[in-house]
Amino acid sequence: MIELVATAESTIQAKALLAAGVDTLYIGEERFGLRLPNAFTREEIAELTEWAHRHNKQIRVAVNAIMHNDMIKDVIPYLAFLEEIGVDSITVGDPGVIHLLRTKGISLPYQYDAQTLVTSSNQINFWAKRGAIGAVLARELTAVELKEIAAQVTVPVEVLVYGATCIHQSKRNLLKNYFGFVEQAYATEKERGLFISEPKNKDTHYSIYEDLHGTHIFATNDISLMDKLGELAEAGLTQWKLDGIFTKGDDFVSIAKLFVEAKEAITSEKYTEDLYEKLAMQLKTFHPAERGLDEGFYEKDPSEIQ
Amino acid sequence: MRIITKKPEVLAPAGTLEKLKTAIRYGADAVYIGGNAYGLRSRAGNFTYDEMREGVAFANEHHAKVYVAANMVTHEGDAKGAGEFFRTLRDIGIHAVIVSDPALIEICATEAEGLPIHLSTQASATNYETLNFWKAEGLERVVLGREVSMAEIKEIREKTEVEIETFIHGAMCISYSGRCTLSNHMSNRDANRGGCSQSCRWKYGLFDMDLPDERHSLLAGDPEEAFSMSAVDLSMIHHIPDLVENGIDSLKIEGRMKSIHYVSTVSSVYRAAIDAYCADPDHYEFQQEWEDELWKVAQRDLATGFYYGTPTEDEQLFGDKRKIPAYTFVGQVLAYDEATQMATIQQRNNFGVGDEIEFYGPGFRHFTQTIENLWDEKGVPIERAKSAMMTIQMKVEQPVKPFDMMRKKKAEKKLEMEVKQQLA
Repeated sequence: MIELVATAESTIQAKALLAAGVDTLYIGEERFGLRLPNAFTREEIAELTEWAHRHNKQIRVAVNAIMHNDMIKDVIPYLAFLEEIGVDSITVGDPGVIHLLRTKGISLPYQYDAQTLVTSSNQINFWAKRGAIGAVLARELTAVELKEIAAQVTVPVEVLVYGATCIHQSKRNLLKNYFGFVEQAYATEKERGLFISEPKNKDTHYSIYEDLHGTHIFATNDISLMDKLGELAEAGLTQWKLDGIFTKGDDFVSIAKLFVEAKEAITSEKYTEDLYEKLAMQLKTFHPAERGLDEGFYEKDPSEIQ
Repeated sequence: MRIITKKPEVLAPAGTLEKLKTAIRYGADAVYIGGNAYGLRSRAGNFTYDEMREGVAFANEHHAKVYVAANMVTHEGDAKGAGEFFRTLRDIGIHAVIVSDPALIEICATEAEGLPIHLSTQASATNYETLNFWKAEGLERVVLGREVSMAEIKEIREKTEVEIETFIHGAMCISYSGRCTLSNHMSNRDANRGGCSQSCRWKYGLFDMDLPDERHSLLAGDPEEAFSMSAVDLSMIHHIPDLVENGIDSLKIEGRMKSIHYVSTVSSVYRAAIDAYCADPDHYEFQQEWEDELWKVAQRDLATGFYYGTPTEDEQLFGDKRKIPAYTFVGQVLAYDEATQMATIQQRNNFGVGDEIEFYGPGFRHFTQTIENLWDEKGVPIERAKSAMMTIQMKVEQPVKPFDMMRKKKAEKKLEMEVKQQLA
């Protein structure tokens, strides 16, 4: 059973994504969730949860931030709220939150999501033994590794099939610090569309922005595994994440529809070379023009990476 | 008079057996080393089991401890053999392992029972509930993320019982440790498996999109300053009272790749400062010579990291670099004859008659003198000690002891930062 999980930027887009055939919405507050397209208020989360459940869909809430003491205090009522409105699951990357769920008796299923640190089946099984219902795989895994992991894990694992990859999170305000040094007053939030380029590779485009959690940097190309969906499904990798942090509005919904079409074709065993070529072509027309697309680490040889 | 009997541990890096012994002689209560597997410093000197045995024996004689860093984030297959590795460490008498990967933690806990586990900073533990989680898992100690402030440490101490270790000196990851794969993406080197290519220290272009398809550079300054994430190093020498009073169990010095000159100097300074504070906390006075000593081995400017607030542009490496005197490690004392005031010295770098040199030793002893005469092994007068590791003799103005070190001021070096005093 393939599950399509998608981020959302607004209630309107969220409903459009569900209508398009997305199974699970991934939303949350900025304070506790990392790198979401937009923050949702608690009222909106409650409303969407009800809406989703009415349509037999699921809500997963991002609680995957690296928590400092003050956040630990404030996350307790948030978790209680999420339990009360009956969200289906949360993501968690900080073991402190897992400890809270246990000691406060909050029953919220959690998917382990510590980003770059989730790289082997033994790790995932460790968290599964401690209550995790699944895990989000690091983006730096190759196809060989993904398949080995899938064969060994005791819970489902999620793979990013479309969207941006975060490759650096600093608590420092790296942009504000730079602009402060050169005495320029530029905004540094996501909407500003800032990016950096490598010294030796000047055409690269690493998106960078600041928020409550510090500075975030993204890979030069976004990921599309449209061509690999059949392979993923065959390996038992059937939780697919679509991340719309840099793909706005209707374009993201249109891209989601392509993945829904692919999912249905695979489920009914009608997925052909021609179809995925067509879908991959269509995807490019909805993908932001200034952002590159590739398959990330998927086709790399694990031994290439030292 | 108030005395503090529960002193925090001074924990020093040791890339080799020689550095391990040096760190302990110069006051470290514990050292951390790498094994041949599962570590994060694939290019640092790593210890064989035999070297570990010798290191542990030496440490035990000096009432010190040896920890092994096995802080890699494993991929499929990487954890193979880890059970035997941890059992061997335990049987050698290693005092604890420093681990961040939960798979390795589980293997260690189940297959090498009795070997204490410390959570590596690589796991970015930043709150008390995380520490409580790991305590419940049976860990002995948690190394905090470098992003934790002093106020947060105080609260963590109050709300947890597990041991706390924090970094007090050395280079810092720019990201939350473990949450950076710049190196993986830019150099095909896995930052979490010992391959970090330090991409955060590079110089980058910075742009926005003015028009579709057109990049607009935002670099500014005269001369133009590149965008970089690179930051100054950490030093907490001015804040020993805070570190001790907040109940931190272990104070860690970064740098398994650093020289014995560095390791001896930094260990010695923190040993002196912590001893001075604990002996009489109410009349403690900061000694400028401690800081002066640290500058002799500094590679970048120094600041207090996240302890007292999020670092600003003043703690990034932008602009002109400051120049400070550089010191070269030139020799180590092998023997000393009190009657003749003659020292026997093993050469480590070129020095000679007329050079002003400085001797320093454990217990924060140091003095400078000019070399007037030098003799080689056979007692023949020489002008310069040019051959690597040669043994020479010279007359010294104050008593020295075996394992004292000799350094020489050389031309100024540029620190990686503009003129600014960041420490206080």
